[in-house]
Amino acid sequence: MSRLAMWWSERIPISGEQLRELTNEPVPNHMKKWWFALGGTPAYLFVVQIVTGIMLAIYYQPASTTAYESVRHINEAVSYGWFFRSIHKWAATLMVAAVVLHQMRVYFTAAYRRPRELNWVIGMCLLLVTLGLGFTGYSLVFEQLSYWGATVGGNLVDTVPVVGGSLKKLLLAGNEYNEQTLPRFYILHAAILPVTLVLLIGIHITFIRLHGVTELEPGVHPKDPSKHFNFFPDHLLTELILGLTLMVLLSSLATIFPAELGPRANPLETPEVIKPEWFFYATFRWLKLFGPTFAVLSMGLIIFTMFAWPWIDKVLMRMTHNKEISTYLGIVAVFLIVGLTVWESLVAH
Amino acid sequence: MSIKAKQYLIGALGFLFLGSLLIVQWSEVSRKREEAGLAPHHISHPASSRSCIECHDKLSPGIIDHWEGSTHALKGVGCVECHQANEKDVDAFEHYGATIATIVSPMDCARCHPKEAKQFAQSHHAHGGHILASLDNFLAETVEGARAPFNPHSPTPGMEVDMVNGMASVDSGCKQCHGSKVALAATTGDEITVDDLKPDEKGQPTNQEALARVRRNESNQPILHSASWPNTGIGRINLDGSLGSCSACHSRHDFSPRRARQPENCAKCHLGPDHPQKEIYDESKHGVAFRDLHAHMNLDAATWILGKDYTQAPTCATCHMSAHSRDQEVTHDPGERISWTNRPPVSLLMDTDIHHKVIDATDPAEREKLIHDSWQNKRDRMKQVCLHCHTSNYVNSFYKQYDDFVINYNEKFAKPGQAIIAALRKGKLITDIQFDEEIEWTWFYLWHHEGRRARHGASMMAPDYTHWHGMFEVADRFYQQLIPQAREIAKHASEQGNEQAGQAVEAAIAEILARPEHQWYEGQAKQPMQSP
Repeated sequence: MSRLAMWWSERIPISGEQLRELTNEPVPNHMKKWWFALGGTPAYLFVVQIVTGIMLAIYYQPASTTAYESVRHINEAVSYGWFFRSIHKWAATLMVAAVVLHQMRVYFTAAYRRPRELNWVIGMCLLLVTLGLGFTGYSLVFEQLSYWGATVGGNLVDTVPVVGGSLKKLLLAGNEYNEQTLPRFYILHAAILPVTLVLLIGIHITFIRLHGVTELEPGVHPKDPSKHFNFFPDHLLTELILGLTLMVLLSSLATIFPAELGPRANPLETPEVIKPEWFFYATFRWLKLFGPTFAVLSMGLIIFTMFAWPWIDKVLMRMTHNKEISTYLGIVAVFLIVGLTVWESLVAH
Repeated sequence: MSIKAKQYLIGALGFLFLGSLLIVQWSEVSRKREEAGLAPHHISHPASSRSCIECHDKLSPGIIDHWEGSTHALKGVGCVECHQANEKDVDAFEHYGATIATIVSPMDCARCHPKEAKQFAQSHHAHGGHILASLDNFLAETVEGARAPFNPHSPTPGMEVDMVNGMASVDSGCKQCHGSKVALAATTGDEITVDDLKPDEKGQPTNQEALARVRRNESNQPILHSASWPNTGIGRINLDGSLGSCSACHSRHDFSPRRARQPENCAKCHLGPDHPQKEIYDESKHGVAFRDLHAHMNLDAATWILGKDYTQAPTCATCHMSAHSRDQEVTHDPGERISWTNRPPVSLLMDTDIHHKVIDATDPAEREKLIHDSWQNKRDRMKQVCLHCHTSNYVNSFYKQYDDFVINYNEKFAKPGQAIIAALRKGKLITDIQFDEEIEWTWFYLWHHEGRRARHGASMMAPDYTHWHGMFEVADRFYQQLIPQAREIAKHASEQGNEQAGQAVEAAIAEILARPEHQWYEGQAKQPMQSP
C-alpha cells in the first residue's frame, strides 16, 4: 500500500469493498423500468433546489419593502438570475409532480403494506413538507398572487376549529399579513422545511435500506441473483441518466418558459383572478365548491385518511375480501384530483 | 391484478396526471405572461353584457374595441355595469331587456370608485359648469351670440335656415370644456334640467310634474336636448345632481390611465390665450424633458408612482394629481397642491374653507376661523413632488421667485386696474353692461388673457409666457390703453358737466401713478428712484 493510501485508510477506515457492500443493495429487476426510479427523482430535484435556492438567496431580500424589487433585480440585472430563478421554479413544479407520481407508484403497487407502514407515513410527511415548501416559496416573490395566496391560506387555517386562530397567528405572525409575515415564510422556506425534508429523506432511505426494495414478484427471495441487479453501479447509472434528462428538461423549460413577475403585492387591490400554485388547484376548487369550513374539515379528514391508509386498507380488505379494493379507490381518487385540477385551471374565476 | 396489469395501470394514471400537468402549466404560463405584460390579455365578455357586445360590435365596433383594451374589460366590467340605471332614474330606458341610461355620471362611476368620485366632487374642476352664469359666459351667450334665436340675414344655399341658434358658441365652445347643464327635451318644447327634477340623494327625481313632461322617442327612450349633449365637459351638471364627467379626462370607452397621464389630455381645455398651460408646459424644461424621454416614462404602469415607476419628467398629472414615493396617493382634486389661484383678476392665496372654496376674507382672524386647508399645506404637498428631482433650496427659491412675481403683478397692475374700473363704475361713467365699452375689453384682456398668461408662465417656469406674452403685454395694456382710455372717459365726463365723477377717476389715476413704481411713466420722478 502506498504511503498516500495508508494515510487515507488510516483516516477513513473504510475499504472500497466495504463501500460497495454498503451501497450494493440487491435491486429487483422491475426497477429497471424507469417509472420505478421516481423515488430518486424528487431527491435529485431537491438537490437542484438547494443549489439554485442558495444562489437566489444571495440576492433575495426577505422583507415586504424589498422582496419584490430584489426578485425583479434577480430577473433583470443579475447575470443568469432569470435562468436560476426559472430553474428553481420549474424544479419545484417537477419535484411536486415527481413526489405525487412516486406516491402513486407506491400506492398502486401496495408497497405501503406491512412492514412498510411507517415509511408510508414518512412519505406522507415528505409530501406535506414539499407542498409547504411550494407554498412558502411562492409567497416570497411578493407579487399580487403571493400576497393574496398567503392571505387566503391564513384565512383557511383560521377556519380550523379550536386551534385555527392560533395556527393563523403562527403562520402569518399576526392576525393578518404584516411586515413580519414575509420573513417568517422565508425562515420556513429556507431553513425549517428544508432541514425537516433532509431528516425525513434520511429516515425514508434508512427504512428502505432496512426493509430492502419491495419485491413485486411473489415468492422471489431478496438475494436471488437472477431476479436482481446491483444498486452500485447499475441502478446508480440509471439514476444518473434520469438526472441528466431532468437537467435537459429543466433547462429547456427555464429557457422557453422563464419565470415571469406579476404585479407587486397591493393590499388595497384584490386581483380579479386569485389562484394558488397549480398543486393547490384541486384543493382550491374543492374550497370553492363546498365553502371554507366544510372544505378545510374534509381536507383534514382526507389527509388523515391518507396517513392512516396502510391500516384502513387492511380493514377494508378484511371487510370486502377484495385485495384490489385500494386499487379501485385509488383510480377514483386520481381521476378526482386530476379532474378538479384541470377544472380549476381552465376557469377564469 | 397481475404485476403486468399494475404496471400498465401505473403508466396510464401517471400519463393522465402528467397530461393534466401540461394543461395546468400551459394555462399558468399563459396567465403569468399576461400579468407580466408579455402577452395580450385574454378578455372574457361578461355574461351581463354579452348581447350588448354582439350587437354593438356590428353597429359601433370602435366602442367595443376601445372597451376591450381597457382595464374594465380585464376586470370583467362590461357595458351594463356602467350604463345600468334604476327604472326611477329620469334618463333610464329599457334596451333589449336591460334598464340603462346613455349618460354615465360620476354618481354611476362612484359605485366602484367612491374615493376618486369624492375627491373629484370637491375639486374646482367639478364646479366648472357653474361658469354658465358668469362674466365669461355673458361674453359667449350675448356678445358672441344671442340668448334668443334670431332671423338669418339671408338664405343659406343648400340648407334651410329659418332661425339662428344664438347659443351655438356656448354649446360648442364654453360648455365643451366647462360642462353643460344636461337637459332632456320636454313635450312642452322647453328643457328639463336638474333644477326642474330636484333629485334626491340617490339622484332620482322628486318632481313628478317635470318627469311627466319628458319627451321620449318611439323606443320610449328619453330625448337628450342637443344643446347639452354630447358633452364631456369636466364640470357637467348632470340630471342626477352630480357634477362633472369622468370621461373628460378618462376618455370613454377605454378609460385609459396612460392617456390621462399625458399633458395632451389636459390640453383639451388648458390652452389658448387666457390659460395656455399646455403651451407653457411645452416651453418649460419639464415639457422638453417629457418629449425627449416620453418612451421612458413607464406610462402603462399600474400605479405610476413618481420616484418608483419613473423620474424622467413630470407631466401635468405628476405634479397636480399623481402618486409619488414620498407617501402621497393619487388625488382627483388637482387643487390640493396649488397655493395661488391665478384665475381671478387679482391672485388669491388658496386658503380653502370646509366646502373647498377659496376664502376671500381679508381680516386675518376671520380667515383663520374659515381655513380648512391652508395654502401652506397645499404648497407643502407640491414641494413633496418637486423634491423628487430638486433640492429644497432650489424649490424654496423657486417659490420665492414665483410669490414675488404674482405679488408684483397684483400690486402694480391688477389692484390699480381694478380700482380704476371701480372708480369709473362708481361714477356711472361706464354702464353696468359688460363688454359694451372699449375699456372693459381692455381690462378683460389685461387680467383675463395677459395677466393669467404671465402668472401661469411664472408658476410653471416658462419665461417667454411670463414676460413677452405676459407682463410685457400687461404693461402695454395698462399704460398705453387702460390709463389713456380712463382719462379720456374722465375728461369727457368733466366736459359734459359731470365734473365730480370725472375728477374722482382722475384722482384715482393720479394716486396710482404717483406711487414710486409708476412714476417713470409721467416723467414725474425728477430724482432717481431709490432701490427697495
